Amino acid sequence: MDADVGRDIDADVDRGVETGAETGTDAAETGVDAGVEPGVESVPAGSGGGIMALSLPYQVVAAVALAVAGVFVCVHLAMVFLHVAPSNTLTKRHGQAVDDWIYPEFEQNWKLFAPNPLQQNVSVEVRAEVVTAGDGRRTTDWIDLTAQDAEAIRHNPLPSHTQQNELRRAVDFYLNSHSDDGTPNGTRGQLSEDYMRRIAMLRLDGLASLEGADVRRVQLRAVTRPVPAPRWSTEKNDHTASYRDFPWWRVTDADLPDGAARSRAEAAAPSRTEASR
Amino acid sequence: MSGPSAPSTRPREPFDRRIARAVQAVTGRALGPHQTAIVRIGFSLTWLVFLLRELPHRHEMYGPDGPWSWELARRLTADNRAFTVLMWSDGRVWFEVVYGLAVLSAALLLVGWHTRAVSVVFMVGVLSLQNRSVFLGDGGDNVLHLAAIYLVLTRCGQVWSLDARRAARRSASRAAGKADRGPREDIAGPLLWTVLGGFLLATTWFSDITGEWWLPVLLWVLWLGHGLWWLVCRLAPGEPRTLLDVLANLTHNAALVVIMAEVCLIYATAGWYKIQGSRWQDGTALYYPLHLDYFSPWPALSELLGASGIMVLLLTYGTVIVQIAFPFTLFHRKAKNVLLVAMMLEHAGIAVLLGLPVFSLAMISADAVFLPTAFLVALGARVARGRDRVLGRRSAGTLPEQRRAGEEHGPRTLVG
Repeated sequence: MDADVGRDIDADVDRGVETGAETGTDAAETGVDAGVEPGVESVPAGSGGGIMALSLPYQVVAAVALAVAGVFVCVHLAMVFLHVAPSNTLTKRHGQAVDDWIYPEFEQNWKLFAPNPLQQNVSVEVRAEVVTAGDGRRTTDWIDLTAQDAEAIRHNPLPSHTQQNELRRAVDFYLNSHSDDGTPNGTRGQLSEDYMRRIAMLRLDGLASLEGADVRRVQLRAVTRPVPAPRWSTEKNDHTASYRDFPWWRVTDADLPDGAARSRAEAAAPSRTEASR
Repeated sequence: MSGPSAPSTRPREPFDRRIARAVQAVTGRALGPHQTAIVRIGFSLTWLVFLLRELPHRHEMYGPDGPWSWELARRLTADNRAFTVLMWSDGRVWFEVVYGLAVLSAALLLVGWHTRAVSVVFMVGVLSLQNRSVFLGDGGDNVLHLAAIYLVLTRCGQVWSLDARRAARRSASRAAGKADRGPREDIAGPLLWTVLGGFLLATTWFSDITGEWWLPVLLWVLWLGHGLWWLVCRLAPGEPRTLLDVLANLTHNAALVVIMAEVCLIYATAGWYKIQGSRWQDGTALYYPLHLDYFSPWPALSELLGASGIMVLLLTYGTVIVQIAFPFTLFHRKAKNVLLVAMMLEHAGIAVLLGLPVFSLAMISADAVFLPTAFLVALGARVARGRDRVLGRRSAGTLPEQRRAGEEHGPRTLVG
């Protein structure tokens, strides 16, 4: 059984070897020679170390430290537990205290594929209103941005976060920070709109078909397609796609991939983005 | 040194003696040296692989002109107060410096060069990049984020590190009667300390845009603590040094408990929420992720696995059982090890099937905190032999490690 783990770990450690992950053999010498745990900061030879090796005043300090460490561990673990637990009597009463302790650095979410795994593919599509020198103003067809991601992930042993997480989580963020009728909830709603627009413009920027065209407005939509029920299942699910259209957005310099630097110069006026809409 | 008494005498030992022995254990030793080392190696390798893989995408992900632009990040961090040094400047050069330092710190932490100081830089790198673009991360980033903070508080370089090798050489030369602190005294440490002091001043200068107050305070405590340790080692090698050693051991052991509890919470949360889901109840849950565009890099393989309803059912139920059971099996060594293997294999499967290798490597690194010492020691010896063979070196000194393994195996603790 340990051999099984061995195979797992071997792969990891092997990669570490050449960069010089010094293995136990060297360290063992200290352990044996000095009779203490091998360590950079091991206690002086001859001294037993630990609280027993201290005189009373120092022991008091060590005991206080032990108590503080113990309390800290208990409080921290209790806070993390309450953070990951479902809403309950305690968190309803003291939720703010838990949040104050946890956010932002200890935030965590381990509902991995739970309570139910996602059972639909959500695609983001974009169309743009462009002006070209030749034939004036026109609206493009819907362009499936998620399909680009899926294409990049296919047969890729090491997908990038830009392919796997960027758009997927951005649209999640957008949907979570907007009410059903599409009104943004506070700052986060605004941020998510700016983010979606910048992602869309970055993706459009890389398209050969839009070469030389000036993008004036964009519209995004989320297309939800349920995963068809397994063949071996008796279940029949409805797998028609449902669409959610986002509003048309006017594109400003701040939305362009290289426009952020320019817009920062004029960011002195914070209401600029709102005004431009 | 902390020679645990033979197991047969344990039940007769009075309660107060057991308490005293426990207190001595948590103050006298930094427990789980191999476990903390493998966690350190695992997470630094994860982050290094990730950063190198994302090298071509780094500007899009964390750069000032990425889709989540510097300005958007500024507006969000002003609100959530997450720690990131990338808010100090919107310049491209500063971004490259931070990314470069993150790569460097991951490599140095992997090999255990000035482990404690480097672990702080590692943490700053992880937090800075992840908090700069929070909407890019997944569960793997999340666990790495937590581990980076907790690792700072551990003595994770006690074994399998350049630090351990340096300490071994020093004590070997001491045993040989040579002058201990001769001309070969390490100057990299004090130099590193001075440089990091400069960064610390900058952090303090920018503290209103860097994040919450406690992180700069933690950095100051660590920095001053290092200085104090250096001074005490030279000027007061008696009790003051032992006291600082006790404090460091306490902090290490507390952090180790937190890391182990975090792993349990991860699996408990993942498991207990799953049993409430209808798809996990009817045994079809696994089928769905296999058919999501974002998680099916090998459609033929996913199709093959999803084709059998019985297979899907077994894996679905197996996942839930293992995840829920794991925290409870810690009370039984063998059961714990069996489940640990099951979970690591499952993560290895997820790495390929769902296209989440970095997430899986992070999870396996976290799981590794529960690997048995005897196994880790044997693994270390095997890797050392392999290294020596590759480098054509004469293999020496494996025997003492084996012997020590026997001793360590004695106390059947959670960590062991």
